[in-house]
Formats: sequence, structure tokens, C-alpha cells
Amino acid sequence: MKRLKRIFGSNYLALIVVTAAVMLLFFILNNNFLALDNVKNLMNAVSFTGTITVGMALLLIAGEVDLASGAEACFGGVVCAMAINAGVPWPVALIIALVFGACCGLVNAFFVNVVHIMGFICTLGIMGIYNGLIRVVTDNHPIPAYEPSFWKLGSTTLFGIFPLPFVIMITLMVVYGLILTRTNFGRTIYMIGGNRRAARLCGINPQRIITALYVNNGMLAALAGVILTARMHNASPGAASTGAIDAITAAVLGGISFLGGVGGMGGCFIGILLITVFSAGLTATGLPSYWQIVAQGAILVFALSVDFFNSKARKRRLERDEIKRRRLHFESRATENQHRETD
Amino acid sequence: MTNRLEFSDITKAFPGIKALSEVSFCAECGQITALLGENGAGKSTLLKILSGDIKADNGEVLLDGEPQNFKAPSDALSAGISVIYQERQMVSSLSVMENIFAGELPRNRFGIINYKKLKTEAQKLIDLFELPLDARMTVGRLSVAQQQMVEIMRAYRRNSDVIAFDEPTASLAEAEITILFKLIKELARQGKIVIYVSHRMAEIFRITDKIIVLKDGKFVADLKTSETDERTLVKAMVGREIGDTFSKLSRCTEQGEMILEVKNLTTKKVTGINLSLRKGEIIGLAGLVGAGRTELARAIFGADKIDSGEVLIDGKNIRYKNPSGALALGIALCPEDRKEEGLVLFRSMKENITISVLSRIRKFLFLSNSEEKRLSDRAIEKYDIKTPSINELVGELSGGNQQKVILGRATNELMSTRVLILDEPTKGIDVGSKAEIYQMICDFAKTGIGVIVISSELPEVLNISDTIYVMANGRISGVLTREEASEETVLELAMAEQ
Amino acid sequence: MTAIKTFLRSKNAILLFFLIALILAFAVLSGGGTLRPSNIVNILQSITIVSLLTIGAGTLMIAGEIDLSLGGIGTMSAFIAALLLKNGVPWFGALLAAVAVGAFVGLINGFLVNELGFQSFIATLATTSITTGVGYIFTGGMGVTIEDPVFRFIGNEFIGGYIPFSVLIAVIALVVYAVLLNKTKFGRSVYLVGGNRAAARIAGLKPKKILYGLFINAGALAALAGTLLASKLLVANTVGITSSQFAGLTAAILGGISFGGGTGGMGGAVIGIFILSCFNNGMTMVNIQPYWQTVASGALLLAAISMDFLSTARRKKSEVKI
Repeated sequence: MKRLKRIFGSNYLALIVVTAAVMLLFFILNNNFLALDNVKNLMNAVSFTGTITVGMALLLIAGEVDLASGAEACFGGVVCAMAINAGVPWPVALIIALVFGACCGLVNAFFVNVVHIMGFICTLGIMGIYNGLIRVVTDNHPIPAYEPSFWKLGSTTLFGIFPLPFVIMITLMVVYGLILTRTNFGRTIYMIGGNRRAARLCGINPQRIITALYVNNGMLAALAGVILTARMHNASPGAASTGAIDAITAAVLGGISFLGGVGGMGGCFIGILLITVFSAGLTATGLPSYWQIVAQGAILVFALSVDFFNSKARKRRLERDEIKRRRLHFESRATENQHRETD
Repeated sequence: MTNRLEFSDITKAFPGIKALSEVSFCAECGQITALLGENGAGKSTLLKILSGDIKADNGEVLLDGEPQNFKAPSDALSAGISVIYQERQMVSSLSVMENIFAGELPRNRFGIINYKKLKTEAQKLIDLFELPLDARMTVGRLSVAQQQMVEIMRAYRRNSDVIAFDEPTASLAEAEITILFKLIKELARQGKIVIYVSHRMAEIFRITDKIIVLKDGKFVADLKTSETDERTLVKAMVGREIGDTFSKLSRCTEQGEMILEVKNLTTKKVTGINLSLRKGEIIGLAGLVGAGRTELARAIFGADKIDSGEVLIDGKNIRYKNPSGALALGIALCPEDRKEEGLVLFRSMKENITISVLSRIRKFLFLSNSEEKRLSDRAIEKYDIKTPSINELVGELSGGNQQKVILGRATNELMSTRVLILDEPTKGIDVGSKAEIYQMICDFAKTGIGVIVISSELPEVLNISDTIYVMANGRISGVLTREEASEETVLELAMAEQ
Repeated sequence: MTAIKTFLRSKNAILLFFLIALILAFAVLSGGGTLRPSNIVNILQSITIVSLLTIGAGTLMIAGEIDLSLGGIGTMSAFIAALLLKNGVPWFGALLAAVAVGAFVGLINGFLVNELGFQSFIATLATTSITTGVGYIFTGGMGVTIEDPVFRFIGNEFIGGYIPFSVLIAVIALVVYAVLLNKTKFGRSVYLVGGNRAAARIAGLKPKKILYGLFINAGALAALAGTLLASKLLVANTVGITSSQFAGLTAAILGGISFGGGTGGMGGAVIGIFILSCFNNGMTMVNIQPYWQTVASGALLLAAISMDFLSTARRKKSEVKI
């Protein structure tokens, strides 16, 4: 139990219950909801947002954010499709897309580290630029990627139930979860998010770490885009417009604070599951798609409120500590004064 | 092993201020070197340069005669320099052990953290410091003193050749101070270079071997601790002998009717407070840091929520929920933290003077320029505020002048202030300006204002107040008149258990 | 004389020179095409909507907050106005309802920020998707045409043959808010609250109240902007003013309103609006592909923020006093 708590964060139970309840609700509304095919679809849907969320979660823990993630994913897919169309073998095209994503991340890191712009503002501007460029490059039409061996990346199923994209996402989550909890680099990310100045004074170079995180995020986003392209057989310029927001929502829902320094991969996973189940469920019940947009906003508010009430509880804890602290202060001054007299 | 740390002609200027100019001195291994000086003398800046946090404009730090070029704190750390800062540099969401080993957690050969080793090593250190802590506790749950000790453990763990402490005892209790001093002496005995920054004379005489005195960013004196005394040091710090600032005060002798009465006031931080203030009276609120004095002031001022009890103005029970309600009744507060709560630093001096009376300087709907200028000029004249113009950004003024701007705001004629609460009015202000501020406080009383002064400096409270309320643990533990009060009686009450 | 000297040294002067350079550059590139009266009318027409959004976003930024939901609010309000008109509600009723809805969403934003302590950036991001979604729900994602003669007049008529009527609204709004910010207690409070919220509260201002006011104001103005756009196009659609929202932010930042809060003003904002409009219009006039225009606008925003942050960084540096 304690172990579970460590993996999923403190409010994991509430989240699991909510997710289960949502699943149950949709199951009641639509008995096919938990049918094998639908579950497979669900896993495919989860994998796209999930892969972006992995990179985003690391950034959020370090107190940064990349609003251009969705556009980067989309751009990655487009680059990959174009490379394939140019006759490049698909694994090379994949690598080209990843390098491209890394470059996108480098651009973000440049503005954050060198020009000193807050991450969310500069990536907002960059998102606009990428969206424009994507449309310039694609002329606003989906780019077909005709390469059956490439499609396997999106369509292969392991053990008959697990789609490859889902397996990739889970693998990434486990690997990055281990990096976060088990390596010096991972712990450094928490330090940077929790207290950047302290981290710097401990000899850590926050700028270098943040650059690495943006580059990593760009690569993962591009990977998500490539997998989506493989699944869809084409790269659509509007495919991932909400990618960044979905990823942020999932991460925040999973207990990663927007202020940095806390959270982990376990919570993230449940967060992603919850929002995907939610929107897939809404689609399955036949509600118009606009409701999903509303639900998206509502669920973000909900996630933030959970964060808010959590920090309220934290505040109460701190207040208790404050009383203890006061007593210590009191003792210290008292003895100091005694000391002054006797010394 | 480094044997000699030398500062050579260190100069550092910030916009508008020269923090350090051509400071040179050296510290030897096996010795504890004290760095002494008033607020703003440049001690902290020097330590920041030593740790690679900021770069000097000119001059060098030399280790064993080798000039160093630190670009970031990591460079200084790898050169064997650890600095323990006054503001604790902790990540409160992480555990004690992770904070101690920050960035250098023990790993196995695959790069995976060895939590077991981490825990035992951390626990060893904690035991060495004789603290009742579990290495896995979250730092956010520790007391300030314990956090400070964790900070020190971090530097200790690095086993650096040069260790600098910036006011390490500010939040420590005596038991912890004893352990710390024992460890610091042990460090010196091991042949390390220890630099110790503190205001507290007693400590400096207790552990240091030599003393470097700084004043206004300049090197003033290099003295052997055994060959000097407190008076010499103060003279070196301040630049002149300090006479008795209090005997020359011209006080208010008449007290009028009651203006403020607090009955059984209870908030989250204070309990059952009773207090009464007359016209022309100066009340001093004494007590230890954290005794609830600031919180009481904030409650009276409407800045914090009142749970029960009443505040009577002119005998009438009036409830106001926010500071603006209090101001409307003529209660003004000059907060302790000028930068955080007192002033809007990036706005002009004029705007900061008129902020509280904006609705009273309106002509029709619009703010009156001439009225704003008049009020600002009056404040400049009355309090002798040194500013190039009333449009100067308040952040550009010196600490003393900033404090005067706050006083000018709280007492301008449109405010009709009747109760003035001053929270640590002389904090971070040089000795000369302090005397000026004491006289101002007495002058307020003469005009019939009731003044409440919160101060942590005992002589200050004892000498300027007519009545002294001593607080301990969120309660009033005693009320004394100036004649009754002495340092001993006040201290005794301040340390009283409930 | 000294007034001129101070102006020449101010940031606004640099911006003004930049604007003039921009106008000249595009005039040369387009062979004088941008300076033709018909094109100037075009530019004037395009500033109306951006102006209203800039005022809303800019005043909030001065107080240290940000509102990303203005586009969503505008879209939703335009739909509401168009639907009401379709159902026979008179024009002023429809307009009033639209503005009221905008103000209400602003109130919600204010609540989330003030009472629940959300960061305004993320709180308004959430309301964006809610308002956009609600807009879609009302109409099923289809455009709603507007046939009301008054709306048609507001959006498309000219005064004296040259000046678009809607520009008048923008000019009046800009003047009113400039006076409000510079000359009134409320305006002063906005700056002081943006500069240091805790100190402003201790000094007797009511930061929460001011933030509520600003969020509501921004919501109402966004609703007005959305409705104006619909009346100009004679249709309320889902594309709406989402892109103009970023234009509003860009103009505010270009005009020297800093993200840090506490600085900037309407004078700079007006120049920012003109820089943006001339830039966009110029690109069309010299036949740059629309998608490239999106890219260029993003780049302009980025450049504006970089400038803003470099100067704030300087300001922050001077704050460091041991």
C-alpha cells in the first residue's frame, strides 16, 4: 500500500476511484464501452496524449511548460511523412523526425535560458509560428505516408490486446518514472522545480537541465506525432492542436503541481487514463463533439481545484509546524540572551 | 588542501550602489575568521562572490595564491568552497537526506541511486549533529532551526577546504548553537578555513580567532579577537562612537482620553489579548521573534481575520474586515518588511505617498496633480526625505528614506491618523537615522497620536515607550510602565510559559 | 521643450519610430499601395476589434494578471447575440445580453483567481475551452447569419464616407481607458496592485475588488469585440476572434505593457495596435502567403516578448541591492 502511494502520489486513491467511476458510468450508458475493440481504441487514444505527457510532466516538475508540444508533435509527424514520401526508409525518417523535435526543443530552451522569457509565454508564441509553418509546408492538407511497413508501428498488437503505441507509452512511463525516482538527474529535476536558486547553489546547472528537458520533450512529442502518423497513414496539419493542453491537464490531474517540484509518473498515468476515458466515453455515448471541449475545460478546473484543496491541506500542516517553530524561536532567543549575560 | 584564502581588491557595484570597493584581506587555515559589519556593509555580497553566485566587477579571489575564476556556484564548489547562506536554500518537497546530498546522491555503477547508502550516510551526519531527525522526513515539515541545521550538514558533508557561514545562528536554539560551535571549532582544528559572519558580538568573541570589519563596502580593520573589545569593534563598524541616543529625546508628557481598546482578541496566532491605548501614549510591544506581535498588529489593522473579541475605537465596537476599513478609522500600520508589504518599489515616491488617500485627493472623478505634489513635498520637508524628485522610483531610495516614505504615507494630513502601529521601524536602518526615527515617534505622540511600536531591540522598547506590553506564545504575559521595566523584567516575561 | 525631450527618451518614442519605419518600409515594398486611402480605411477597420481586446488584456496585465479566454468569450457572445437577433430580440437587447454574458465569464475568471487562487493563465485557459465549447453547442458549429440593420450599420457603415463607424467605438474606448488609467483612483490602483499586491492591500487598496473589476471589464470588452466582428462579417462563426485575442496580447506587449505588472499604458498600447495592424496589413499588401503571415505574427509576438523581458531583466537587476 505504501509503495502504491509512493508511485501514484498522495491523492492517487481519489483519482483511481474517479477513473473507475467514470468507466463504470460509461459502461452503464453504453454496454459496448468495455468491449475489446473499444478498449483497444481507448489504449490507442491514450498513447498519443500519454507520450506527450511524459515529456511535459518532466518539464512541469522542473517548473517549466511547453505549450508548443502539440504543434511539435504534429510537425514531427509531418516531417516523418515527408521524409517517407521522399523515399527515405521509415526508421531513418523516424530518426529525422526525432532530431527535428529535439531541435524544436532547443529553440524553446534558447528563449527560456538565454532570452529569459517565461516558458509558457515564449512557447505560446512559438506554437503560433509552428502552426503557421506546418500549414505552409503542408498547404493545409494531410500528407499521406504510404509505407505499409511503417504503418505497423501504429497497428501492431502485442499479445492480442495491447497496441504497440500503448506499449511504447507504458515503456516510456516506466523508464522515465525510474529516471525520476532512481537517478541523480531525476532528483535534480525536482530540486530545480522546488527551489531553483537552492539547486544552483548546490552546484547544479539549472539551465543545462532545463535545456535537456525541453529537448527531451520535443523528441517525445515528435515521437508521438510519428506514431500517430503511422496509425492514421497520414500526417494531418490539425491533428494535435490540443496536444499540449491535454498533456498539461493530464499531468495536473495526476498530481503534478503547476508550480513545480512535486508529482510523478504514476499519477500522470491515471490522469491520462481519466481524461481519455472521459472524452472517449462522451464520444461513445453519442454526445456532440463540442461537449468534449467543454468537458475538457471543466476537467481542468476540477484538476486545479484538487491541487488547490491539496495545498490548503498542506497549508494547514504548515501552520501546525509554525507553532512548533515559534516555540523553537522562543527558546533560541531566550538562551541567547542568557548567554549574552553569562559570557 | 587549501591553506590560504585571499580576497584581493574586490569591487562590486549594483546600479545605484557600490556594494564593495577594493576589499582585500586574507583568511588562514585552522582559523575562524569573523566578518563583521552593519547591514549593507557588503558582507553578504562578499560571500556571494566567494561562492560564485555573482561575479565581482574587479579584483580576485585567490586560493593559495592561485587566482580563481568562478562562473557559477558549481565552480566554487569544485574548488572546495562551501557557503551556508542566511536564507535557507532547501527544497521543501524533498527529504532531509536528498537535501543533504543534493545533486550528489550516492549511486551504484549503473547510475542508479543507492537509497540504502544514502540513508545510512545521512543518518550518520544527523547523529553527528545530535538531531532527533529521520533522514527520510520531508524538509518542509522541519522547523526553521532544523532546516538551518540541514543546510549546515550539507556543507559539512562536502568536506570543503573553505566553509563560510552567513549568520548561521539566527534561528538556532542554544542546544543547537553549542553543537554547531563545537563542530565549527572542530573544522578549524582539522585545518579548514572558516569564515563566520554574524552581528552577535558575544558569538564572535566566543569562537573566532580574528575579525575583519567592513563598513559601507570598504575594508576597515583586521583585528585579533583576543586583542580587541566590543567598544573598539562598534566604533570600527559605525565609524564613530555612539552616544546615548535616548536621553536627548523630547517626549510627550500628556496623555489624553482612550482611543483604542482591544478586548479578549483572539485570532489564529494570538489569544485573549487585552490592550488599551490613550492619545499621546507610546506602547511598546516586546517579545521574542514569533511571539505574535506582528500578528497582533495585523489583527488590529484588519489585515488578519479576528476569531473572537473586540476592538473598540473611542469606546465604540467597530468591526472592519480589511486594512482599508482600519485606515478609514484612522488606524495606520507601517509593516516590518518594507519591500514585501510596505512599498510598491517600481512606482514613484509620489504614488507611494498618496496610495492610502487616493479617494481624498480627487477633484470630481480625477486625481489632483497639485494635491499629490503638495502632499509629497510636505512629506519630503517634514521628514527630510532625500530624493532627487517626487517622481523618483521608491526602490531607488535608501532604506532609511524608504522608511520615511512609509511614515510620510501613514501620517499625512489627509489621513487623520490617530493610531499608528510601527512594526520594527528601525530594522535595517543605520544608527544615525535611528535617532531621527525615535524623535519622530515621540513627535507623533505629541500631536495626540497613539503609537504602538513593535521592536526586537530591547533598549529601543525600554526607552521610547510609556507602557510596555510583553508578549509570549501569542499572549500578553505582562504589562509594565517605563519606570518599572528593565531588561531583566521584560526578558523574564518574554520567556514566560503560558 | 523638456516635455519633448522626456518623450524622445521614453520607450514610446522608440516604438513610434519603429512604427514609422514599418509604415515606410511597407509603403516602399508595396509601391505606395499601403498608403492609398482605401487601404488606410482597411487598417482603421482592423484596429477596432484588436483595440478592445488590447484594452481588456492590457489593463489586466498592468495588474499582473493575464486573460487567455478573451477569444472564447468573444466567440460565445457573438453567437448569443446572433441567436437572440434571429429570435426577434431587438438589437440593443442582443448586444446587452452578449456583453452581460462576457462580463459574467469575466466574473468567473475573477472568482477562480481571487477565491480559489488559480494562476490566471491556467484558469482562463480552462474557461477558454468551456466558452468555446458552449459557443459550439449553441449553434452546432454552424455560423449564424446576422440580418439586423443596426448591426449591419455598426459593422459596415462609414462616417463622412471614409471613417468606419466601428473605429469611433475603438477611439472612444481607448481615450476613456487612457483617462481612467492615468487620472482616476481606479487606474492608479491598477498600477499599484500590479506593482506590489501585498503592499497595496496594507496601504488600504482592495486588490481582489480591483481584479474582479478588471476581469469583468475584460470579459465585457471581449464580448463587445466579438459582437462587433460578427456585425462586420454579418455572421457569427466559430473562427471568431480567437486569432485576434493573441493580436490583443501582442499589441499590449509591443506597446510596453510588461508581463511583470505595474508598468505600461494606453499610449504605448495604441502604438502597439498600429504596429500590429500595419504589419498584418502590409504583409497582405505585399502578397505574403497567409500561412506565412501566421508565422510572422508569431515571430512578432516572440520579438515583442523578448524585448519586454530584456528590459524587465534590466529592471530586475537594478533591484538587487545586497
